Amino acid sequence: MALIFLLPAFIAVAIFLYYPLVQTFIYSFFKMQRTMDWLHAPFVGLKNYVTVLTSEAFRGAFLFTLYFTVVSVALEIGLGLGMAMATFSVSSRLRGVLRAVLVVPWAIPPVVSAMVWKWLYHPDAGLFGYLIHASGLTDSAPQFLTDPILAVHSIILADVWKNSSIMGILMLGGLAAISKDVYDAAKVDGARGWFRFRRVTLPLLLPTVLVCLLFRSLEAFRMFELSFALTGGGPGTTTDTLSTFAYKYFFTYSKFGLGSSYAMVIFAIVLALAIAYVSRIRKNLRFKG
Amino acid sequence: MKSKHRYRYRRRANQVLDVLITLLIAGFCLGPLYWILATSFKPMGTEYLIPPEGWPSKPTLEAYRIILGIPSEASQEGVSGEGVFGSATEVPQAPSLHFLLPIRNSLIVSSTVAVCSLFICSLAAYTIARLRFRWKIQSLLLLQVAGLLPAVMVIAPTFVLMQKFHLLRTLPAMILPNIAYNVPLGTWLLAAYFSELPWELEDAAKVDGYKPFQIFRKVILPLAAPGLFSAGVFAFLGTWGEFILSSVVTMGVSSVQTVPVAILNLSFEFRYQWTWVSAAIILSVGLMVAVALFFQRWVIQGLTAGSVKY
Repeated sequence: MALIFLLPAFIAVAIFLYYPLVQTFIYSFFKMQRTMDWLHAPFVGLKNYVTVLTSEAFRGAFLFTLYFTVVSVALEIGLGLGMAMATFSVSSRLRGVLRAVLVVPWAIPPVVSAMVWKWLYHPDAGLFGYLIHASGLTDSAPQFLTDPILAVHSIILADVWKNSSIMGILMLGGLAAISKDVYDAAKVDGARGWFRFRRVTLPLLLPTVLVCLLFRSLEAFRMFELSFALTGGGPGTTTDTLSTFAYKYFFTYSKFGLGSSYAMVIFAIVLALAIAYVSRIRKNLRFKG
Repeated sequence: MKSKHRYRYRRRANQVLDVLITLLIAGFCLGPLYWILATSFKPMGTEYLIPPEGWPSKPTLEAYRIILGIPSEASQEGVSGEGVFGSATEVPQAPSLHFLLPIRNSLIVSSTVAVCSLFICSLAAYTIARLRFRWKIQSLLLLQVAGLLPAVMVIAPTFVLMQKFHLLRTLPAMILPNIAYNVPLGTWLLAAYFSELPWELEDAAKVDGYKPFQIFRKVILPLAAPGLFSAGVFAFLGTWGEFILSSVVTMGVSSVQTVPVAILNLSFEFRYQWTWVSAAIILSVGLMVAVALFFQRWVIQGLTAGSVKY
């Protein structure tokens, strides 16, 4: 009986997620140049993987993806925590306003948010370039998207804008779940300010923070849209993520085999992260019934 | 007397601080969007002025008119009065853009996906949260691991699959996979919601001889309306923003493109017309922000339920 109820979900997931996963795995062992028919493509064994893992481009994309994930997730957790604490501390009317405001960046499609930032970073008429130039910090407007180091951090800033607020909302939920009794007890003991935050709030919020951290880093590691729409991976390949690289191999170079091995490598890394994730939340996977 | 005064002073200072904090966070979250809004009202070309105008001195809806493909009064007169020549000279560049088309496509795709995935997810979530059966944890894991697959991982075979079914360049090519993409998160959110519902009504229904599907339809679904709502909004917003699949299966055919793909193409095609791109951004964002704000309570509830209650 239970299986009949689960069947639609299983069928959907099997056709559009697990079947393609198996296919990608198979593709990754074939040399598929401008063809999507692996049955008639030459089998090359692990050659694609060797090509991917030894290539300079892979190392670049991997390092960028890793750097992007670590820096942006750290910033997002920090800012999100700050925004959650701030939202929690203001009067209830303003709290309602802030909660609404925090939902906005999250509701914007990733590609659209990339367009927003592309205009802010515009080399000739972008607001940021103008502000920095006008304040006398640089001689000319900085090239946010064409200077290699700036491009990397421009993407990180755009991502931080998009995702910090959602971290804020999640942590706000965590803060609201902390019982008022705990704070009353802390008050009796004379814990206030930073000390109370450090010794009372933070430890109780830690489970939420951890879930946010894993959840965000899984997502950040798969990041595609920002890099694709903001810089197109440029300058050169400095801001190519593993995902945009795989995409380029598929649909720009039409090398399905090589692209598939790229995708498999991403999957292996995501899976490792996911195992950490699931082992963290496993005890709550047991629904009653 | 003095201490009372100080108390009042401190309270006032706190209020000011609260407002400052609110403004700071609001500025961070909404500032970039304000800039796009201001740009979208600028007359063509003035978006490049240095120093940039904080708010256009002569705000105009020209960019929206062009984006939506509404002919201007001048060009209409030209067409009716002097024929092709008149309209060609009066409107030097008025490409026929129909940004309503991608919005319509996105609305069709997202709402179909939301409804279908809600149906699938609520059944699965009910089973996982409320019924007893053997492979429960394994079933849940099977669904959740699918949610971790990166989009690029499944995109190439999905493209091949759609090609085999002759669905490329059609809306179903986006609808069907997106239903599946929403199953893991939707099931998770709903299962978290269902598991919080009281058991009493369900037990009473069982005593009355209801079958599981009847319990699901007549007891659980009505009780879980807020949870269904939030899962629906999630599926809708997620599908609205989906890019990789849409960009691949539409293959550059503008009549079936969804909003993210259309906006990216627009920004490539008219890379210097930032008033147009801004207008398109505002149109596509405005709707989503309205949805998110209108259903804010459920969105936040859903987000919190799905993550904090782990």
